[in-house]
Amino acid sequence: MSIPDDSQTLDSLYREHNGWLRGWLRNHLDSYHDAEDLTHETFLRLHTHAKPLNNLSKARSYLRVMASRMCIDMWRRKSVERAWLEVVSNQPEALAVSPEQQAIIVETFSEIDEMLSQLPERVATAFVLSQIEGMTYRQIGEQLGVSERSVKTYMARAMLECMRIEARFDQAVNS
Amino acid sequence: MSSLDPQTMPEQHILQQAAEWFATLSGDEVSDQDRAAWQRWFSSHTDHQLAWQYVERVGLRFSQAQGQAGSDEASRILKATRNERIHRRNLLGGSMAAIAGVMLWRYTPLSDYSQHLATALTADYKTATGETQELALADGGQLWLNTASAMNVHYTEHLRNIELHHGELLVQTAADSQQRPFVVTTTQGTLRALGTRFGVQNMHETSLLSVYEGAVEIITQSGNTATLRAGQSAHFSVTEIQQPGPVSDARQSWARGMVVAKSIPLKELVEELGRYRHGYLAVNPAVADLSVIGIYPTDNIDQALAMLEDALPIKIKRALPWWVTLEPE
Repeated sequence: MSIPDDSQTLDSLYREHNGWLRGWLRNHLDSYHDAEDLTHETFLRLHTHAKPLNNLSKARSYLRVMASRMCIDMWRRKSVERAWLEVVSNQPEALAVSPEQQAIIVETFSEIDEMLSQLPERVATAFVLSQIEGMTYRQIGEQLGVSERSVKTYMARAMLECMRIEARFDQAVNS
Repeated sequence: MSSLDPQTMPEQHILQQAAEWFATLSGDEVSDQDRAAWQRWFSSHTDHQLAWQYVERVGLRFSQAQGQAGSDEASRILKATRNERIHRRNLLGGSMAAIAGVMLWRYTPLSDYSQHLATALTADYKTATGETQELALADGGQLWLNTASAMNVHYTEHLRNIELHHGELLVQTAADSQQRPFVVTTTQGTLRALGTRFGVQNMHETSLLSVYEGAVEIITQSGNTATLRAGQSAHFSVTEIQQPGPVSDARQSWARGMVVAKSIPLKELVEELGRYRHGYLAVNPAVADLSVIGIYPTDNIDQALAMLEDALPIKIKRALPWWVTLEPE
């Protein structure tokens, strides 16, 4: 049973699963509308992503993985948006941007946060201190209480993980 | 930048090599051997060049974030987002993480170093790479903060204290109606101003004091003291104060957005210019000791480089967007 070619199957999957999925999403999201949106979005993605689902329990866990990923994406975007608005409210003139620019900024920061979320806290912190704050390894080492050698290891590890995610962004675009 | 074909993505071990090169070349002291070795690695295989493109794109993404919001704001946004993410995860408990299979990191409670981090992030004033800031102090004094610097200003009943966490500042002190002492603290010690204009650069192991008017007393953490007069400068560590030498104009001219070079080796000027720019900037040893005279803008490093290219037998090579070298013509 392969999903994308078989609209009959998608239809029956929807009938079978939309109830619990909607309930699960409502439990995890504050907003009723967000839960509705993500329910539909989840099935839509199931339709566009080729993925064989052999049995019912597999479909169920697959739907949950997708739904929770989408929750995480949405939360991330909302966090970034909130943080950005807060920064703007502190400096209204300096950071006046158009809605389009804001969308780009939220996108940029969401992608960076996604990269950083895959890293241990210390590694992520070192990378931000270097790439965003422009600190030297020595300064980062002092701040984190580790040797410069460790900072270098953190940087390599962070970069490798970011490169992998960068490649995944590519695949998402090309698929 | 064009999207790369995932089918041709380099193998894991090559990606890892690229990440390690990135970590080496972003280090504080990169040797010419390192650079040459990187160049050999980079040129030896197309897969290496492909892997390096990913390094570049990640670097670009972060510098875009910094450019869009400013480094202070960018780190605030990332910090707030991260905190919310951790908070959310705590609320949801493990169930979602287990199901989603995307939570590869573990939540760890705030440790000492995060506390340090929090302190550093609340530094009152901070500049991004390439940015300088001028501010008026409450007592009528004037202060300039140079590129990639951070400081706190504490004015209390008894003391006017500037804490320079990293980077460089220049200050013109004013007479205080309450006659409170004016001091600047760095990692290595304390500087007490005796009615004056002076600059401080907090570097790795030492701080550099340059006095332009009046006098400043150095008190190292270990308690050694020395007083420098106008026209003198000296490096000091936690324990020692080096023999004073003449002040360099470059340590003052940055506050007016320029670097003044009076017959200094090209490598010294490039090191100074590199402080105002993200990415890698280096000089080929063959031209590193050429003597340079002139005034170069710090707010437009590309222009400064073009001026150098006109004045000297060199050419600017931009191998990669944030990878610039000065080569013999």
